[in-house]
Amino acid sequence: MEHSMVQTIYRDPALFYWILIPITVVMVLTGILRHYSSVLLQSMPKKQPKNKIREHRQLIRGANLRVNYESISPSSFRARKAHFETAAKDGSFLAEPENRGKPPPNMMTDPAAMEGMMGMMKGNVANMVSQTLIMGWINAFFSGFVIMKLPFPLTPQFKAMLQAGVGTRDMDVRWVSSVSWYFLTLFGLQPIYNFILGGDNAANQMAQQMAQMNPSAMMGPGQDPDKQFQAEAENLEVLEHKYLLDGIEERILAGWAA
Amino acid sequence: MSVDLAHPPPNTTPETAVHISQLAPKYIKRATSSLPWPLSVFSRDDPPEVWAAYETLFLECLRTGDDRSARAILDRLLARFGDKNERVMGYQCMLEEALASNDKDLESVLKIANEILGSDEANVPVQKRRVAVLKSLNRIPEAIKRLTELLDMSPTDAESWAELSDLYLSQGMSDQAIFCLEELLIVQPNAWNMHAKIGEILYASVDSSTTNALELARIYSESMRRFLRSIELCENYLRGYYGLHLTAQKLVKLIPDASKASTKDDAYNDVALPTEGTVQALNEMAVDKLGEIVRKGSAKEQGWDGYDTAELQAARELLDQGTAKVDR
Repeated sequence: MEHSMVQTIYRDPALFYWILIPITVVMVLTGILRHYSSVLLQSMPKKQPKNKIREHRQLIRGANLRVNYESISPSSFRARKAHFETAAKDGSFLAEPENRGKPPPNMMTDPAAMEGMMGMMKGNVANMVSQTLIMGWINAFFSGFVIMKLPFPLTPQFKAMLQAGVGTRDMDVRWVSSVSWYFLTLFGLQPIYNFILGGDNAANQMAQQMAQMNPSAMMGPGQDPDKQFQAEAENLEVLEHKYLLDGIEERILAGWAA
Repeated sequence: MSVDLAHPPPNTTPETAVHISQLAPKYIKRATSSLPWPLSVFSRDDPPEVWAAYETLFLECLRTGDDRSARAILDRLLARFGDKNERVMGYQCMLEEALASNDKDLESVLKIANEILGSDEANVPVQKRRVAVLKSLNRIPEAIKRLTELLDMSPTDAESWAELSDLYLSQGMSDQAIFCLEELLIVQPNAWNMHAKIGEILYASVDSSTTNALELARIYSESMRRFLRSIELCENYLRGYYGLHLTAQKLVKLIPDASKASTKDDAYNDVALPTEGTVQALNEMAVDKLGEIVRKGSAKEQGWDGYDTAELQAARELLDQGTAKVDR
């Protein structure tokens, strides 16, 4: 029977010390280096100017009023609604009242948007450079070696994954080539980074690339704040006020009797 | 007694504060031991919890007067976050305020805060410190002005609304104080203590100049409903039942007159007045419940031991007054 036959390959033990361990150590170190370089390259979130904060929070206040109106009396609600609607009409909550009604600025000319893109580019470039260098280094020095044997059997489909760079058809799938070991460590070191660097590290480039799959989600088109205020004012206008304190005596007494 | 320093309980008692601040010297000493440079690359010693714990220790040290430990902790925060960090700037002002012994020192703190805000007017922690300094200098109108400026920029800040309400109340402007608390309820609709606070302000806003029975009944019933809401949100809330008892007692007397005087064109009547029977029943409930709270709270029964001793005492006295009246 074929599978009872055990393939044996005599390996120089030096392969183990001079290929397997160096690749592993280098991969862990590059992960750590990548983490710290991304920390260094990270641009601080830019501080919002006062009028932008005001615009944003006044909008939230309007939304809060729409959600939590039940806690205040009808007269208080009417006063606040009137205040918000007038302000929305005059545009006095807007950060840039003079830009009202103009189309939103082009992404490419808006310095704030450019800064965000630059930040992403920086991360990407750092990633690519390190990846290319390591891959080139592994290929130049270590390609073509069979360095270890897995302690469990596998189906032949794994051959492409585990024996990259070794062109032998009949070799058992359990043998792992050096380039494949590189890929395995590339994908599989996340738990080790988590242990060394803590949960939210930036060591694993694969995880980063996953996150960058849809950049459109990160930089959605800037919404026109004026329109948002108008929409919020309209929401408040159609709201029918209900007062929580109306009939509370009966509610409490019913709860007390029960 | 163990306290989670990273997530401290709100409103710590003086005993807890002393306990926490006594941890500070030990904490400062322990945290300096870190790995030497090349090895420190492999360790993570910068989790947010550590810095949250430092903040807690800093505040409790200031509260208990341990200014030296507070200074040491602040130095640690400065070394980590730099002196351009808004929170750290706020803490720096806070420490200077704590060290100030007279009005002149406070004036100089105020000057520093004004300088910082001159170059960066969106710095919320320092803005709050400026209000606090003005308050300590007893320049309440200016404090109110500054706080309204802050709230115009950041109207979702519940803490500032509560502070502004207190400031207005200290000036006897209860309508404005209530407005602020209503704003607060829009941000935090389930803050039962704030519902009760509105009730308290309404109750206290009645003075001898208001004699119209209808007007009085309107204020008291509004106040009573606020207390009811606080009870609805937080069962066994002592202040809620206390207020309910007080307002219900007043209303029982007022409602017969008020319902006679009642007119239909009252635009300001948001909700109709309650009936006498309802108020009566609520009053009985409040007395019952207060009795239960006082009994179980004084005995420190399981699950009833969180009550303030002074509040329990006040509730007991209120109940004793009631029974004395009945005896007569």
